[in-house]
Amino acid sequence: MPAIEVQRQMLPLLNSPNQGARFYNPDLPETEPFVPGHRTCAGCGPSIQYRMTSKASGDNTILVGPTGCMYVANSSYLCTPYNVPWAHTQIGSAGSFTAGVAAAYEAMIRKGKWKGAYPNIICEAGDGSASDIGLASISGALYRNHDCLIICYDNEQYANTGIQASSRTPYGGMTTFSPPGPMIPEAKKLFPKDLARMMAAGHPHCYVATASVGYPIDLMNKVRKGLNHKGAAYLMVYTPCQKGFVYETPRSIDLGRLVVECGLYPMWEWNPEQREFDYSFRPASMRPVSEYLKLQGRFGHLQAEHIATLQRFANQQWHMMGVELPEPLIRAADAKNLAAMASAEAAAVVAQTV
Amino acid sequence: MATVLGKKKTVRINGCVAAAQAAKYADVDVIAAYPIRPYTATMMALAQMVANGELDAEYIVADSEHSQLSIAHGASSSGARVFTGSSGVGVHFAFELYSPISGSRMPVQMMIADRTLDPPGDFGSEHTDALATRDMGWLMGWSCDAQEAFDNHLMGYRIGEDPRVLLPQMVCQDGFFVSHITSEVDLPDPGQVKEFLPPYKHPYPLDPRHPVSHGPQIMPEQGPPLQLERARAMEGSMPVIEEIHEEFAKIFGRRYDPWIEEFMTDDADVVFFLQGAHAVTGRYAIRHMRERGAKVGLVRLRTFRPYPTDRVREVLSKFKVVGVIETNMGLGSVSSGGSLYAEVCGALYESDRRPLVHSFMAGMGGEAIVLKEFYWMTQKMLEAQKRGKIEKRTHWVGFED
Amino acid sequence: MSTQGTHIPDWLQVPFAGITPAPSQKGQDLFPTGNWRAIRPVYRDKMPPCNNGCGANEKIQGYLDLVKRGKYLDAYALIKEDMPFPSITGRVCYHPCEQACNRGQHDEAISIRAVERFLGDFGQALPRDVVRAGPPNGKKIAVVGSGPAGHSAAYQLARLGYEVTILEKSPKAGGLNRGGIPDWVLPRDVLDREIERLVELGITIKTNTEVGKDVTWDDLKRNYDACVLAVGLTEPNSVRAEGEDKNGVLYGLPFLRDIGMGTSRVTLGPRVVVIGGGNTAIDCAREAFRQGAQEVTMITVEGNAGEMPCVPEDLHDMLEEGVELLHERAMTAVLGNGKVEALQLHPARFSGAINASPIAVDRAAPAERFAADTVIIAVGQHASLKWLPDQFKTERGTIRVDRFGRLGETNVFAAGDIVQAGSGQPLMVVNAVGDGKRVAFNLDKVLSAEPLQPRTIPLDVVTDLGRMNMTYFPHFPRVQQALLPPTSRRRTQDEVIQAFTEEQAVEEANRCFSCGTCNACDNCYLVCPEPCIVRSVRSNGLYKILVDYCKGCRVCIEECPTGCLEGVPELDFDTGVVRMDTAFAITQGLHGRQAEELRRVADQAAKDIEHWR
Repeated sequence: MPAIEVQRQMLPLLNSPNQGARFYNPDLPETEPFVPGHRTCAGCGPSIQYRMTSKASGDNTILVGPTGCMYVANSSYLCTPYNVPWAHTQIGSAGSFTAGVAAAYEAMIRKGKWKGAYPNIICEAGDGSASDIGLASISGALYRNHDCLIICYDNEQYANTGIQASSRTPYGGMTTFSPPGPMIPEAKKLFPKDLARMMAAGHPHCYVATASVGYPIDLMNKVRKGLNHKGAAYLMVYTPCQKGFVYETPRSIDLGRLVVECGLYPMWEWNPEQREFDYSFRPASMRPVSEYLKLQGRFGHLQAEHIATLQRFANQQWHMMGVELPEPLIRAADAKNLAAMASAEAAAVVAQTV
Repeated sequence: MATVLGKKKTVRINGCVAAAQAAKYADVDVIAAYPIRPYTATMMALAQMVANGELDAEYIVADSEHSQLSIAHGASSSGARVFTGSSGVGVHFAFELYSPISGSRMPVQMMIADRTLDPPGDFGSEHTDALATRDMGWLMGWSCDAQEAFDNHLMGYRIGEDPRVLLPQMVCQDGFFVSHITSEVDLPDPGQVKEFLPPYKHPYPLDPRHPVSHGPQIMPEQGPPLQLERARAMEGSMPVIEEIHEEFAKIFGRRYDPWIEEFMTDDADVVFFLQGAHAVTGRYAIRHMRERGAKVGLVRLRTFRPYPTDRVREVLSKFKVVGVIETNMGLGSVSSGGSLYAEVCGALYESDRRPLVHSFMAGMGGEAIVLKEFYWMTQKMLEAQKRGKIEKRTHWVGFED
Repeated sequence: MSTQGTHIPDWLQVPFAGITPAPSQKGQDLFPTGNWRAIRPVYRDKMPPCNNGCGANEKIQGYLDLVKRGKYLDAYALIKEDMPFPSITGRVCYHPCEQACNRGQHDEAISIRAVERFLGDFGQALPRDVVRAGPPNGKKIAVVGSGPAGHSAAYQLARLGYEVTILEKSPKAGGLNRGGIPDWVLPRDVLDREIERLVELGITIKTNTEVGKDVTWDDLKRNYDACVLAVGLTEPNSVRAEGEDKNGVLYGLPFLRDIGMGTSRVTLGPRVVVIGGGNTAIDCAREAFRQGAQEVTMITVEGNAGEMPCVPEDLHDMLEEGVELLHERAMTAVLGNGKVEALQLHPARFSGAINASPIAVDRAAPAERFAADTVIIAVGQHASLKWLPDQFKTERGTIRVDRFGRLGETNVFAAGDIVQAGSGQPLMVVNAVGDGKRVAFNLDKVLSAEPLQPRTIPLDVVTDLGRMNMTYFPHFPRVQQALLPPTSRRRTQDEVIQAFTEEQAVEEANRCFSCGTCNACDNCYLVCPEPCIVRSVRSNGLYKILVDYCKGCRVCIEECPTGCLEGVPELDFDTGVVRMDTAFAITQGLHGRQAEELRRVADQAAKDIEHWR
């Protein structure tokens, strides 16, 4: 029996939501692969991401959910919010389970055991899975170039277990494994792992990009680009965690914009054909990091010097993006020009509750 | 490209290649490989088959055994027939996945060529690697030669994929003693395999046309019924295993007792109880001792999970003394020796005529059990028979007078 | 066999291997996460400031939204609900809407008038108007005057099914639209077309028919079921200067009217002075150039251009055309021998007094002589109501009406400048149109014996940008209408302000924020984490929140660009409150079934223990 050629989907890219001066989201697919009735926290960033991603990918999709918030809170008690096939896998199996699904469909379609267009295979790994325990398995899947999309929904901590530091937790971020105290006033001392760049550098044949829930259409288009790319793709998406970041729930999308505008989450794409980074994404404005930090209880303990350290970090990111720094941002990198977060005492209270 | 099977023939191959041949005859869809000796040779053989175009499968070189099993889990969940394998510490690196795979009832097949765990850094066979996973819900059993390995792999798929069972299988063979010893193997006619092994069809795969969720969280009260269902599947596999062994015998002409193989036990007073390759040496030793008048026999356990408790009790109750050859480590266990002893004694507890039971720590670290040691162990059993009680529960063979 | 004899109670039956089917209503009911909610998002469209600012309460946000989508016909139909002649207001309106526009706080106000004109011209090009007369109800109405208020009232009444007759004293219909607005602002054929549209609605227009002369007050009452008086302010005010009767002294509105109606030839000398600083004065000054004047000077009491009671754009355009300004002067006499030769000016300023003469003229100061050949006095106008019974007149000489525009208990209503003068309402075409519309509806109520509703004041006008999300609106410059170059336009009756192209109209409409009003941008739908915001079709205001699941995170409210979503405390509701069984309910659901079993065990226990003994 001759091998059957595998038909792959091509999803059209969505137009920009701003047509001239007008804000009007492009027409979205009608399908709802992700429905309500799940226990994610109110305003959950990863859940927003899940909604957008599944909306972008459509019905011919298989989702893989390694252990994390989107497994524990979403797939509740024998009732799930997924209208497409979804499978839990172990937290360290993100890339490998996904690779298994991808390989199965390659073989089954080729051998005539399954008929239809190759499905969109998406792995939704939290940053704990993606940056720590499942790093090797994801690297393996990318390296082997299975036709799948691996998403790291990056809420910068192990949230489902009760807010513990991951290697994506930012410098200065308070978690239950990195609490501030007299000996460690800044809470987390380490800077986050530059996960997406690591993936781009190590797997240059893959489509790799960063995205944020603050830019929904951009996010959905990156999902589609990743799915359209024949082979493996990797997307790291900023998804704020209301419980861990300690902010007012309505701010979920707003934080997604601010983190980009403050230079703490550079948005870029790695173009596997050209083998180069595309840094052309520009937020509407540039802001000092304090505007992002002040909205979140997890940074409430920071002193001026710590904020300056984070501003220097952000400035390096701007520099990497090839953006010239305006004077205020250079000044904001000097602790002399900054004040401590006023709410240090409030933060201590928060620390006991998370 | 499609899988190409030749005509029925007899070949000289080792256990590793026999396993690979079985995978090819089963026309597996996805293979998850990762090198560790001694099972590696199986994956080498499969790699060559794929390269040659004899086997149409996705051959994935995983980044670890954990990934191998995850790949297998994902592929099986999607509806593909999957083959993977490992040895020694590799088996343990993947330990996390054993329960999820059986819990989701995915009939993944894993070939294990046993290897001693570290330490010592040793390639030889010791069953501890696989036995440690014994309660994870996998069907498990040992072959003692390459032909049996081939047959067990084919039967493994058929049993595991049976809709009444749907459980993963560990098809074990001793490293080196089976995996690397060449012997004659009958490769069947493709038509026979087709008749015996229908295509894999999971009732609820990950299929976009019939969306389902695998492995969601449950309410605590839903835990007991799910665990009970898994236990029912394991127990319920027993009649299926018997039925399929019967069918195998009809189609291929080779008949195996699915649970226990007895050798020269008809009038035996004392018997060895063991699994795997040492039975081959054991048979030779027994024939030799029989010539000298010792009423000794051998009982080989073919299927360890599900454990045939009643068969073990019935068979072993016929004898005066049973010597369990462990080839595994059960440090600080019931016998302070291996873990097989407890399984045997547990089965015999309800017997009216309980034999005396020895635990023999032999073949450790993959060392061969030589004839001299069989004689020594027989001697110990005969002494116990004469005395009516055992002198010592566990013997470290080769280290005692 | 350990599992032998086991059975799983029906309420603990689980699917094979826990493999769960795709979401079902039953499954989702287990997690009515709506009961977490303290604040509920509610779609509540509010009054956009433009609609509120418009004298005719046009649904401006509504038609801008339709223009955005290229639905010009729908947009035209929408505007026609409130405005009979968008092609006219699109040219002449002083656009209070644009002053109210929130975008003015962000970058520049929307050029609403230009879009309105685009729609008006679109409507004019239609072979048939979208508006139809209502089914005839057999009642006859007279509308006196065919200016903006009369036109509007007649239009609305015809739509309601009345047989309407317009009585117009001039030879041509149009009133102020024809007689008060120069051709280069409102071309005559545009107005003619709008009048034709009225006739197409079945309205009879009797020109050269003056109430008080051709028709008496009693005729009106006898021949019609009701009537609307929209006679306007026809008589020009005087500045009470000596020598106003000299040849070469003209008055603003009659000057424009003579040109517009073609009722008499106007001849100007080379040096023209315009007295007054209002919009009519500006029109006169600019018209003067077009009628051949060489120099035009505008003399105002106001201290500077900024104080002049006029539209800044028109002032700007006038100055561009070369009109000179002379401030803080009052004309005290017209000098010359039977004919204007010069003007006598005295310093003057507004006294601030609220009485008949708010202007303080310093006659003690030395008089100034200003050479001129023609002077046009444009300092307002007043009514001429000799035919109206005195009981219906105010002390200011306008018509006395109640708050519904009704004259006492009669079936007579009045609208437009004739009632607005002195009411505090600025005299604007659009206000007259609004007045005509409201009076028409009130009249309809009276004739159908329905109670009259006072004009409601909208409670919630969105004027605070903080109620919207400005991050969605990048700064974007206003699309400018092209103008004829000042030098060439001085001598022509061609329209000064050029129309928007279709692209320009859409681009400008796209700048609209849709303040407080859903415009189907889909943002709430997209950002909901549940997602519990649904819509069957994508259309304004058709979004629904599944309150069973909405957790009250308020992301949708925060991210609503227009501010049409708002949060309301859940305690304010008695509907849609989630009181479903949940997976966690102690007494209900799965746990409840188990709890029931356990209770039975306790009841049974005493007997069981007895039995075991």
